[in-house]
Parts: sequence; C-alpha cells; structure tokens
Amino acid sequence: MSKSVFIVEREANLRLSLSYLLERKGYQVRALEDGDAGAAAVSEAPPDLVLLGIDLDMRGGFDLCQCFRADPACKDMKIIFLTSKARSVERGKGLALGANAYITKPFANADLLAQVASVLET
Amino acid sequence: MRIRRRLLNTFLIAGIGAGATVGGLTWHFAELAAAQGADDLREQILMFGAGGGAALLALLAVLGSALDRALTVPLTGLARGLKTSLHANPDHEIDGDAAAELGELSGAVLDAISAMAQGRAKLSAQIDDATQGIAVEKDRLEAVLRDLHEGVIICNLNHQILLYNHRAVELLHVSGEIGLGRSLFRFTNRQPFLHALERLNNRLIDGRGESRGLTAPFVASTSAGDVTLQCKMTLLTAEANEPSSYVITFDDRTHELAELGRRDHLLRQATDGMRRPLANLRAAAEILVEDPPDEPVLQQKFQQVVRDESHILSVAMEEISAEFREIITGHWPMTDIYSANLLNAAVRRLREDKGIEAIMTGVPHWLYGDSYTLLELLHFLAHAVQKVTGASMFDFEASGADGMVAVEIIWSGPAVSETNVQGWLSQQLDEALGGITVRGVLDRHRTDLWSLSGEDGRARIRLPLTAGQTEGELARGNLPARPEFYDFSLLNPDSHHEGLGSRPLKSLTYVVFDTETTGLKPSEGDEMISIAGVRVVNGRIMTGESFSRLIHPGREIPKSSIRFHGITDDMVEDQPSHDVILSEFHRYVDDAVLVAHNAAFDMKFLKLKEQATGVVFDNPVLDTLLLSVYLHDHIESHTLDAIAERFGVGVDAETRHTALGDSLVTAALFMKMIDLLEANGITTLDQARDAASKMVEVRKQQEQF
Repeated sequence: MSKSVFIVEREANLRLSLSYLLERKGYQVRALEDGDAGAAAVSEAPPDLVLLGIDLDMRGGFDLCQCFRADPACKDMKIIFLTSKARSVERGKGLALGANAYITKPFANADLLAQVASVLET
Repeated sequence: MRIRRRLLNTFLIAGIGAGATVGGLTWHFAELAAAQGADDLREQILMFGAGGGAALLALLAVLGSALDRALTVPLTGLARGLKTSLHANPDHEIDGDAAAELGELSGAVLDAISAMAQGRAKLSAQIDDATQGIAVEKDRLEAVLRDLHEGVIICNLNHQILLYNHRAVELLHVSGEIGLGRSLFRFTNRQPFLHALERLNNRLIDGRGESRGLTAPFVASTSAGDVTLQCKMTLLTAEANEPSSYVITFDDRTHELAELGRRDHLLRQATDGMRRPLANLRAAAEILVEDPPDEPVLQQKFQQVVRDESHILSVAMEEISAEFREIITGHWPMTDIYSANLLNAAVRRLREDKGIEAIMTGVPHWLYGDSYTLLELLHFLAHAVQKVTGASMFDFEASGADGMVAVEIIWSGPAVSETNVQGWLSQQLDEALGGITVRGVLDRHRTDLWSLSGEDGRARIRLPLTAGQTEGELARGNLPARPEFYDFSLLNPDSHHEGLGSRPLKSLTYVVFDTETTGLKPSEGDEMISIAGVRVVNGRIMTGESFSRLIHPGREIPKSSIRFHGITDDMVEDQPSHDVILSEFHRYVDDAVLVAHNAAFDMKFLKLKEQATGVVFDNPVLDTLLLSVYLHDHIESHTLDAIAERFGVGVDAETRHTALGDSLVTAALFMKMIDLLEANGITTLDQARDAASKMVEVRKQQEQF
C-alpha cells in the first residue's frame, strides 16, 4: 500500500507543486491550508508523514507538532518541518519538539523527495 | 571689672576685720586696766587703740588703691584690647601707657598678637591662591562637560546627584535645574541603573575590575518612559578599592532604537520573507524543466505560478530596498555576561516576590546579551510558568555547547504547551523599557524559547543565547597539570558514615571541592591558600550554595606558583588561618561524600592539618581522576581539561585554576560520570570506590611507560 502524506502549507502555489511532486512519486497526498484544518485531518486518520509549515493561519506549526507528539494515536507518524524560518535556533526548536527533519525554503525538489523517502524508511 | 570688684571687696573685708580686731583688743585691755583701777592706763590704751586702728585702715586704703591702679586697670585694658584684636580688628594697637605698667607680660601679649595676625594674612593668601586654582579647574571641567554631546551625571551610592551637565538636563527633558542632591530616579526609571550598579559591584568584589574595567553599557529610559537612553556607567572607587560614586554618560537613542527595530524587521522580511515566494517559484520551475506534466491545463498552471511568484519577488525586493535606504545603523548594546551574575540577579528578584522561589544550579558560562532585558525575561518566564503549571520552585541553570549557552528554567511537573508559549510572546515585560515584549527580547537576541519535559518528571524552558567571547580565551595560558597522587588510604578514611556505601550514587549528597596551594609538596612545608567546594544534591549542582575562601598560609607564597592560582601575598594578608577556614569548611561539608579531581592530593593537605586544627575529614571520598581512568582506561590523558573536552563540558578560562572554578568543572564532569558509571553497572558508592581502587594499580603501571 502506498504511504500517505499530508501537506500543511499556507502558500497555495507551493501546495500545488508539492502535491504534484509527491503524487508523481506514488504517495497518497492531502493538502491543507491552515493549522486547524491540518489538526482536524490528522485526528481523523493520521498519515505516515506530515509536511508541516510553521507560520500557519489559525494554529502554528510548532504548536501542532507538540500536540501530535503528545497524542498516542500519532506515535508512528513522521513530521518534517518545511519552513522559511532558517535560523539554527528555530531548527533546534523544531527538532526539540519532536520533528524528524527540518527543511528550509527554498529547497531543491530532488532533495525534498529524498528527505521524505528517507524519513519514511526509518 | 570682676577682678577690680573682687580686689575692692577683699580690701573692704580686710579693713572691717582689722578694725574689729583692733577695736576688740583695745576694748578688752581697757576693761582689764579699769578692773585693776588703773584709769590712766585705760585712757592711754583707748587712745593708742583708736589711733593705731585709724592708721591701719588708712594703710589698707592706700595699698588697695595702689594695687588697683598698678594691676587691675592695665589688665582690664589689656583684656579689652586683646578682644578687639581677636574678634574685630587685627591691627588694633593696645593702649601703650596701660600696657607699659604690666612690663614683660604686655610685651609677650603684643608679640603673640602680631604673630597671629601674620599667620592669618598668610593663610588667607594661600586660600585665595587655591580658590583661584580650583576656579580655573572648575571652569575647564564645566567647559568640557558643556561641550560634550553626551549627558553626564555623577551620583553617590545613594543615587543623589552630585554633578551634571547641561546636556543631561536636555536629554532628561527636565525644565530648569535638576537640583544637586536630588535622587536620580526622579528623572529616570530605577531598575536598569540598580542592575548595572550591582553588576559593577560584583565585578569589583570578584576582583575582575582590573581585567574587565568598571564600566558597563546598558539601556534605560526617562521616568515618563518616552525617551530611551543608551547609558554607560563607570564605578568610581575611593581608597581601599571601595566604591564611592558612579558616573553615567548617556544619550537619547529613542530614534535609533526604533530604527533598529525596523531594520531587524526588514532583515527578517528580506531573508525569511523572500524564501516563501522563492520556494514556490523554484518548485514549479523545476517541475516544468525536469518533469513536465502531460496535461496542458496542469502545465499552464505551473507556468502561471512561475510568472506570479516572479512578480511577487520583484515587488518585495523593491519595497525592501526603498525602506532600507531610510534606515541608519545603530546597535543595541550587548555585552559579555557571566551567567552566574545574571541568574543570581534573577533569583534575588524572585525572592522579593511571594509564593515563588528559585535557586541557581549548574556550572556558570559566559554569554552575550543585554543583561537587563534578559533579567526581566527570566523573571517574567518564571511567573508565567507558575501561572500555567502551578510550579513554585525553579532551578535556573546555564549550559553550553556549540558556541551557544542555553539558559534553562527547570521545575517539577509538566511542560508548558507551545500554545501558551506563543501567547507569552506578545506580552509586555514588567518595568522594562518602552514596553518591550517577550518577542522583542527574543528578536533582539536572535533567539527563541521552548518548553520540554524530561524523563525525570522535570520540565524546562530552554532559551539558547550566543556564547560570550571571553570564553575559550585562556586567561593564564596552558598550564601543566598537577602530578597525580596515589595514596588510596587517603581516600578511604575510617569512616563513621556507615550505610552510605550501599546507597545509589544519584541519591547521595556530595561536596565537590578543590584547593589551591603554595606548591606540590605538602610534606615539605607547602600550604593551602584557597579552598572551595560546591554541593551536589539529587544530581543538581547547587551553584548558589558554594563555599570559597582564601587562607593565610602562614608563609610566603612562592612567585613561581602565582601563575597557577593568581593568589598573591597581599590577597591573603587579612585572611583567616587554616584552623578557622577548615572548621568552616567542615561544617559546610557536613556528612556529604567528598569528591575531587586527583583527590589524594587535596586530602593529603587536609590530613596534615588534622593534628594542628583538630578538624578531621573522615567522609567517604571519590576521585574523578580514578573514575575517569576506569571509564576510559584506553586513554592516557586524564587532566581536568582533557576530560572536560571528552565530555563536551565547557571550561571557563577565566575561572579555571581557581578553587571554585575547578570545583564547578569537576562537579559537571562528575555528573556526566555518574551516568556512564550506571551504564557500566556501577550504581552504588561502594561499587564506585571499588572501581576506583582497582585503577590505582592500573594508573601506576601506565605511568611507567
């Protein structure tokens, strides 16, 4: 069965590209535009991986990440931050709160796909 | 006048007395003669008596009047003259005729008066000269102060203004005079000044004044809060290095700091803000080139993205460059801060509040930041955590790694959710300048904070900060380590502290200590000159309860040893001797387990003093050097520095080779060792001591190669 990936991303144009890229690789993709929608979708049925933004409307990405990590239903779900926050302190915070990887924008599509694949393998 | 009256009275009484006596006698002899029937004789006696009495009275009157003229009149005149010269006119000449009657006395008095007049004239000439000199100096100082672009205020330690310049009045927006002797805090907010003064005082007490100077930059505001002042405080010391007053130079930075905020915002916009459209653009462009979709509709969509995002990027770029041109550069004053001072200040601040307590733990580090806003932030965070979790006991700790120093607030209980943390960001800090928010302080230090829970049921707030530049510079260069001492009997005293041996290592109370000495040969007259220790309870290094004393060694300190410990004869001159300090240290240690690096060396010094002082340390002892040999027996170097590097424990160069500094490093290493020992199945004190004792032989053999 193919792995499922949720994209929680504020930028519509990036949601388009990310969805296209991941679908081409055979993942089941669902794109969500804000924190509340992301939280609701995950609580319905946790995917294998969430690509999570940090600056989101409604609820921030750090907040979501901490909640997911506290929820036993999501214990196998992988989290990758995908963000324009590039300072090492922010990266440190993201990983400290339980993310599996932290990717800063802009990124090469190939690198993103490789990162997604490697996180899903572990 | 009184002399004259008394003289007259005396003569009057003498006259009456003489008259009465002569009269009485005459009468008595006359009656005697009458009783014998010699009436002739009675007549004669009466006649001679009356005549003699009259002559006697006349003689007395003449004598009195002569005395009056010769003494009392000139004396009174002289007294009046003296009074006039002393109080009214120094050139007044005393009546020559009257004075002449007194002979030498009047000559002496006249000499004295003229000498006094000369002295007075000389003194007043000197005062005139000095006053003129001071006036010149004062004019010069006033000119300098007037022309200074910065405000200058000098205060005494009660914050009363002793001196100020015109610019100070302008900058503080005071109409009229500030008024000497009034409190500085009528015009400015209080906390930043008190905090800067405290930091400088600490620097002076710690003896770091010479190496680091007694000046600290800080930011304050006027009491109305509408003007932000960038200040520099310099502590002035009087004799004996006692602080006497302080000078503040300051300037209005309201505008610059507002600009700085805008620049920071802009910089973020330019970096983070550009990443977003760039990401959208790049993803779409790469798809179009590397893996174009088959359907034309989708392909068109990606092309649309490329065009739109390129447009957004161009507009954003234009906006940023336009705004950037308006902004002038400035900087928020940041300095190297010793975390122990910052955390201590935070602990003291919290102590003033009710229902909340904090202690400082861990090994101090140097960090880079604005001390006052960080202090306010820590104070705010402790209260905010208490509100959310109900915790009221906090540990403040700093830990360093990778060029960062993380300040942590630790408590027992659950972590704080990110939702709460986000909620704090927009809150304003109490009493802080210009209504700065939590986010403002974090932005200024280019950092963030978060909360995590640990495995031990304790949660923490982590605030990473840039490490200070002081750290890593070796203050005294690389010094050779002490030779190792192996005398296991010193580490196994006949302990009456039974029952500790089977207790888990983590549950014990330790005092990790170190001594500085005049040399390496305790048996050949070398003495301790400093001893320090820090208590470790439940795996926490209780930095706030450390022990650190200098000792008068009762001998000269060899020059060659000073480069190791930096302690000179002058510094120990007024310090107590061994008996006093060792009994204090004994009380501090109580029944804790003693820990030291190369412990046999330090124990030997303590042991040699037992007889003289009567202070016996029979506590169990652990040696971190031997434990390190046990944990890493394949490695040869077990110096404090080598182990610190191995464990990634930061060593503060400025306090390394001080008894307290080395105790703190040893304590940090010992904490790491306990975890490793447990992983090797060594969990109790007895097991740890057994492991160490076996290493004595191993180490001796290693030495031979």
